[in-house]
Amino acid sequence: MKEFFAILKNELIKTIRRPRSYIGFAVISFICLMLQGAFYQDGRELLTTVTAQFDNIFNVQGNILNGNLICFIVLQTLIVQMPLLVAFVTGDQISGETASGSIRFLLTTPASRTKIVVAKWLSGLVYTLLLLLVLGIFALFVSRAIFGVGDLMAMNSEGLTIIRADDINWRWGYAFLIAFLSLSVVASLSTMLSCIMDNSITPIVTVMATIIIFTIIGMFDMKSFDVIKPFLFTTHMISWRSLFEDPLPVHDILTSCAILFLHVVIFLGVAIFYFKRKDITN
Amino acid sequence: MKKILVLVMSLFSVQAFAIDDPNALIRELNKRFSQVNDYTAHVRMTFDIPGVKMNTMNGKVFFKRPDRFRIRTKGIFFLPKQNPLQNMSAMLLDTSSYTSVMSGYEVVKGKKCAIVNIIPLKNVNDLILGKFWIDIKNPLVLKTQITTKNNGTIETENVYVANSTFTLPDQIIIKLETKKIKISKMLAADLNKKSKDTSKDNKLETGTIVLSFSDYKINTKFADSELEKTEE
Repeated sequence: MKEFFAILKNELIKTIRRPRSYIGFAVISFICLMLQGAFYQDGRELLTTVTAQFDNIFNVQGNILNGNLICFIVLQTLIVQMPLLVAFVTGDQISGETASGSIRFLLTTPASRTKIVVAKWLSGLVYTLLLLLVLGIFALFVSRAIFGVGDLMAMNSEGLTIIRADDINWRWGYAFLIAFLSLSVVASLSTMLSCIMDNSITPIVTVMATIIIFTIIGMFDMKSFDVIKPFLFTTHMISWRSLFEDPLPVHDILTSCAILFLHVVIFLGVAIFYFKRKDITN
Repeated sequence: MKKILVLVMSLFSVQAFAIDDPNALIRELNKRFSQVNDYTAHVRMTFDIPGVKMNTMNGKVFFKRPDRFRIRTKGIFFLPKQNPLQNMSAMLLDTSSYTSVMSGYEVVKGKKCAIVNIIPLKNVNDLILGKFWIDIKNPLVLKTQITTKNNGTIETENVYVANSTFTLPDQIIIKLETKKIKISKMLAADLNKKSKDTSKDNKLETGTIVLSFSDYKINTKFADSELEKTEE
């Protein structure tokens, strides 16, 4: 176990020292601040596109443009982009070292190959968690500081759901947990591909391409796509949104979480299985 | 005996006059409501609006004559553009702005009501026709139907318990026709949800808002600033 923690510590230090690790934090904070600035300036105008359809019948009272709505919008915008940022760092953790040859030195340590893969995978998860923490701070707390706290007018294709401000914090907590589980799938996929491939760029690009293709499939309402949609992890990655529905679709959320967790187990299992048998020829 | 007979006959004639004359009913209503200069009350709001899921919420109502009205509460809520609480009394009070016509009788909640149509004389407030079901025994508006140019038709049903002497309802059930509120899949970023057949969504559906009032405080006077704030 000692070797395992030594490798994990080493991997975390490597992640901290790599300049590319900070791109994710910079991108998230920039997007959050940019969207907050834009909403501060033009948010009410943008909301009229939603309220216009019932404007002649209802007066909507209360502060719609609040920190919770901004966080909801930021999260649904970034949840598509964040996997790319995760893959950018976790995609070459093993393949990058295989390409450079430094993996040979790592394999000379007493730690087993399984421990090496798990340590690298865990360091990827720590990075993912930190990304989400930064997102949470900027999207939720900074938005609340700028726009105030209020009821969330959650928009979905079924209509509007008003979530009361005193009933929202636990929803955000679980939403970020599900977001973490979703991004863990991406980190696990990256680790798996990183074990299989021998150069640093290909796993990153492959993960990005997979997410883009799966997202596009999810966007279209076509019968041929409907068959495969339930099997795509991207379908379940946005299950955090279900936490803002009323009544709460608990069964759907748990099913999505189970499917995401299964993906993590399978990807990590394949990564360990493949890496244990991998012939390092570089 | 003769005196009693005269008294009974005179009472009957007053009642008959009230039944036939919509202005008499409105006068009686206005007389009752003119006792109210201001009021506050707790309100519990329940919403059933097509395409909007919203929990019940509590708030406080502030009213000052003739039509200054606010509901103060924490959070987001929907009220009809043509607020019946605000409009009903103000509409009836200004007797010079409309002509009233009796169009028949109907039993509402077991009470015989005169149906009084209010037709505006001037083109103000967007009103086309106001229809009031007024209890002929105890003049109270039990039901209304307000038709406006831009905001469609709003129906209300009023329940009176404790403050009927002031014509202040304990419950108002507001019914209005609206299209189901829908958000485009792209705007909602709800990528995995299947788009529904939107042709049905264009049909008008009935939305209901129930306002239940309690703890009325009538003519207690409150600061005008209470009417300015919309939320806490």
